[in-house]
Amino acid sequence: MSKVRWSRYVLYMFALFALVLSACSNQTEGEAEQDGDNDSTSEEQVEITLGFYSSGSADQKMEELINKFEEAHPNIKVTTQNAPYSQFFQKLDTQIAGGTAPDVWLSDGVFVQKYAERGAAKDLTEWINKDLNKEEYFGLDFNKDSDGKYWAVPQGIQIGALFYNKDMFDQAGVDYPDDNWTWDDLKEAGAKLTLDANDNNANASSFDTSTVKQFGLTFFNITEGWMPVLKSYGGGVLDDELKNSIVDSPENKEAMNWIVDGMERGILTDPADLQAFQSPMSPFPSETAAMRIGIYARVLAANETGVNYDVTVLPKGPSGERFSPVIANSWIISESASDAKAQAAWEWIKYWVTEDEVQKEWAELGEAVPVKKSVANSDLFIGSGEKPENKQAFLDSFDFAGTLDVNAVWSEWVKVFGDNVNRAFLGETSVDEALEEADQEVQKVLDEFYNNQ
Amino acid sequence: MANPSKIEHNKPTQVTEPKNKKRLTHEGKWGLIMISPYLIHFVVFIAFTLIASFYFSLSKYDMLNAPEFIGIGNYTKLVNDQVFWQALGNTVYFTVLFVPAQTILALILAVALNQQLKGLKLFRMAHFIPVISSWTVVLYVADAIFNPRFGLANTILSKIGMSQQQWLNDEMLVIPVLVVVAVWKGIGYMMVIFLAGLQNVPEDLYEAAEIEGAGVLKKFRHVTIPLISGTTFLVLVLSTITTFQAFEQIYVMTGNGGDITAAGGPNNSSMVLMLYLFQQGFAFLKMGYASAIAWVLFIILFIITLIQVKLQNKWVHYEK
Repeated sequence: MSKVRWSRYVLYMFALFALVLSACSNQTEGEAEQDGDNDSTSEEQVEITLGFYSSGSADQKMEELINKFEEAHPNIKVTTQNAPYSQFFQKLDTQIAGGTAPDVWLSDGVFVQKYAERGAAKDLTEWINKDLNKEEYFGLDFNKDSDGKYWAVPQGIQIGALFYNKDMFDQAGVDYPDDNWTWDDLKEAGAKLTLDANDNNANASSFDTSTVKQFGLTFFNITEGWMPVLKSYGGGVLDDELKNSIVDSPENKEAMNWIVDGMERGILTDPADLQAFQSPMSPFPSETAAMRIGIYARVLAANETGVNYDVTVLPKGPSGERFSPVIANSWIISESASDAKAQAAWEWIKYWVTEDEVQKEWAELGEAVPVKKSVANSDLFIGSGEKPENKQAFLDSFDFAGTLDVNAVWSEWVKVFGDNVNRAFLGETSVDEALEEADQEVQKVLDEFYNNQ
Repeated sequence: MANPSKIEHNKPTQVTEPKNKKRLTHEGKWGLIMISPYLIHFVVFIAFTLIASFYFSLSKYDMLNAPEFIGIGNYTKLVNDQVFWQALGNTVYFTVLFVPAQTILALILAVALNQQLKGLKLFRMAHFIPVISSWTVVLYVADAIFNPRFGLANTILSKIGMSQQQWLNDEMLVIPVLVVVAVWKGIGYMMVIFLAGLQNVPEDLYEAAEIEGAGVLKKFRHVTIPLISGTTFLVLVLSTITTFQAFEQIYVMTGNGGDITAAGGPNNSSMVLMLYLFQQGFAFLKMGYASAIAWVLFIILFIITLIQVKLQNKWVHYEK
């Protein structure tokens, strides 16, 4: 008898434990379905989960906008899930693995293809074609793959421009940059703006590269470093299909030589110089660099520290080509969302991009270029009175904007490419050798995923 | 046999054991029930995950799709993966520098703080503060010292006429710098373990040694060291395991402000196994490959601990 009893106890404990576990995870889904069943009004009640990564003051605004959306769509109830950036994506990947992903989530633009190509994102092509007039929005095409399918809709756009510190230019007696500048013009001006501990500029014979206290241009990693230079020199990392490396090209060599020369002369920050800062983002807002290649969000830090600055379009390459890097942070609908939930999630996305009020309120935060062109072109964005004055430069840059060759293995090829070119930046290897090795390693990463080797 | 229940009550084993040795006693069953919360935890969160991770290590698994069995593919790939070998080498290098340095310094510190001094508690506390600080806080302290432009270390070097160093950005120096910071952070904890060991050494043994004419060094060598060898062994095993699992420090100190793909630099010179595992698994979604790294790490740690346990017979004395 006692045998039966004790095994039963263990069984109870297991059952209890399982109950606790299931209560933790699946509560919302159960409720939602029940709501749907009990509802007898014409429109079915749907509850969706929405995930987004936190960015300070923006969280509150996001919640406000979601409340407004719920008011406008009484049949849809939104439950939010958010976390700081890196935890958010870790958690999201785990949720997708466990089948508990949010129905719609905000993805960093560079991760859209990671989810799309691995089958976690829903194909939005039909909805976009049906409900959105593509002419009215910036950046829809940045989430389009080579087959013409759309996988996400931009939430806000980050696009690169050249930031310059007016006070430093005035002090050095250098003309402000304009839209005729080439990268060589930038370097020439940068040399006059680079100062060592004794206030010698980079053109002076007594200039000491080891004691630079003010850099001409702060240069970091891919978006605000090598990608815009490589592309405007006619080079790049991946081919149009985004499945093959085109690293080892004469155009890239020319661009790399331009960069390495700038670093050797102390005009551009090299990776070791950046190590001295709390963050690789700080040289410009802390007024240790006269210029930066910056995406739109960088205006926040510059405005916060009160730098006297403005922006213009990025310089041209030697043959007049331009390139402005774009990261379109976007809404993705989960492939595993049920039809009703996916439809409700689409209502949210549509609400986000089409409603002027939403677009305006979000634009007021000043974190991103609004997706809706009419709002971006309005005074609210361009003439907000906040620095930088020439916000039009960001909008003009859409004419020659492109993504960062974003594909499913983006993080991985960026790392191997970055590791190799950094060695050239630090003078540990030649440009030729760095590009040759980067070419092989990038191709290996691509082959492993796309050709399953 | 007239009153079996009484017999069972007094000597339960006599009744049950002869019939079936595997059968549990009444107390045994209750014991099992009492530990069942832990048992369930063990089965669900440890045993199951262990088996799952072993299966993943034999699969191609990107987390977003179901794992696909590929046999030992991940392990053969590991053998040919240069960065993996580099990470293993760096991990061993880190351990070889860190474990002896931390053990010896913690012992010296513990001996020094085991004296009857005024303000002793303050000193002990001071050494324990880094232990309870988070790595992010430690990063700022370390940066104040090793920042290539504004750091104390380079200021001192230039004052005495030596050339300035890049520290964390120098492929040769990055691991030694990380070790120095890790020792600084971890030493207080090991010191406390040593202090506990030192306080268990009977005072009369020192007195006896003194009567025999032993000096300070001889007392330390022949009384202290043998009597705290059990503690030293514990410290060695703990330190080895923590260095093999080092992750947070390197992530925070080399990751360019939280960028996991930048961590382990420059040029993978501070890439260690745990960091490589995390990067492959969570940043590049190669969970199968990451699981294979985890199993290799487990086997290495298992062997090292086994060797340490075997060797302890030669030098560790436990009080009888």
